[in-house]
Amino acid sequence: MRTCIITGAGSGIGRAAAIAIAEAEEYDYLALIGRSKDKLEETKSRMRTNSQVELYAYDLGDLEGIPALVKDIYEKTGEITCLLNIAGYTDPQPLLTTSLESMRLTYETNVFAPFMLIRECTKYMRLNHEGSKILNVASTAGITPRPGWLSYASSKAAVVSMSQTLAEELAEYGIRVYCISPGRCATALRRKLAPNEDQSTIMQPEDVGHIICQLVSETEHCLDGQNIIVRKKI
Amino acid sequence: MYSVVILAGGTGSRMHQAVPKQFLALAGKPMILHTLERLERIDEVGEIIVSCHPSYKELLQMHIAAYMLKKPYTIVDGGETRQQSACLGVRAAKYEDIIIHEAARPFVTTGEFKELMACEADSATYGLDIPFTVSVRKDGMISGILERNSLVNIQLPQKFKRGPLLAAYEQAEKDGLVFTEDTSLLYHYTNAPIRVLPGTPNNIKVTNSVDLMAGEAIYREYIVGRD
Repeated sequence: MRTCIITGAGSGIGRAAAIAIAEAEEYDYLALIGRSKDKLEETKSRMRTNSQVELYAYDLGDLEGIPALVKDIYEKTGEITCLLNIAGYTDPQPLLTTSLESMRLTYETNVFAPFMLIRECTKYMRLNHEGSKILNVASTAGITPRPGWLSYASSKAAVVSMSQTLAEELAEYGIRVYCISPGRCATALRRKLAPNEDQSTIMQPEDVGHIICQLVSETEHCLDGQNIIVRKKI
Repeated sequence: MYSVVILAGGTGSRMHQAVPKQFLALAGKPMILHTLERLERIDEVGEIIVSCHPSYKELLQMHIAAYMLKKPYTIVDGGETRQQSACLGVRAAKYEDIIIHEAARPFVTTGEFKELMACEADSATYGLDIPFTVSVRKDGMISGILERNSLVNIQLPQKFKRGPLLAAYEQAEKDGLVFTEDTSLLYHYTNAPIRVLPGTPNNIKVTNSVDLMAGEAIYREYIVGRD
């Protein structure tokens, strides 16, 4: 059963991607992961699809539990075909007020949880003969200096590097690793970074969700291994 | 079914590395894993015996677990010489059909293993034509020229029958003879017909640091997406 795991599916880009992928119906089983069951239910209620959609209310800060989570999905479906690491966290602070705890929390969500999910999913993806896909959502904040956003920007730089490294390391297994770096996008996370911004004028989660859907479609096989900048010009 | 013996007993002295070359990272993973992962995909491989220096056994076991390799593995101590290591590996084998390969040739393909298994001869090796002039040197001077058309550059993997090969190892030990690879040994003692299958220039033996650099290119162009 072609299975797609989507983290951060309760809001923002994760929700938009989940809805777009559900409508495309290229995957038979969608595993939506998010901290809030209510938000996941809301995402599911907006889907129009014949694909099976299952909700996994899970806090990715629980890194130790990730192997069992992935194994559970694999045992239900018999295949892990696609992993979308979309969940993100930010606590924008300048250096001198960035606590170790804040740094740790940001890296746990943005770097360590994707690392654990990729590692565990790869164990099963290696068994797929038809190839598999991993997509990580980084940020343009990870490729240019962002004073005041130290933890977030540096964590997203790590996501870019991790994606490019793994694109090469996992190629032999037929696993394509994608990385997108959205610019300003109207999400709750963006609201924390830019509280006074008029979000009606910037890129919407649905714009990014459709791009993610295209990248993880069966027909796309040329854009892996690159950091794809996603920015709305007009 | 085949017992595959992997020679991985080196200690890295020729590459001047603290870690033996079979454990050096090549395209992101230890060199030996390239071969082991490919063997995992071949149904006819019944067991894999790795001849390994005792101080690297634990590391090898850790890699086998981390990469979730499923075949039955036996790790035996390497010997003083390559020949002794091969002998110890073959001695530990439980099947009559043996394949010997070396961890320092990570670009062997599953197709090459299968072609070797499908070859009708009891004993076979891969071999490459020699595209350069080979002369004999004595006291720093050229003392003869070899006819390169009659020469072959021996490549692993190779296959054998366990009984005759073990007998040849034992005789060589008694005679105090050491051979650089096992078709030479077997031919010396039995004159047995040994088929030479055409090898590829990609299946290099990683010996020097420059081979590691070339190996990265071979991996990208020849292995990824093709095997």
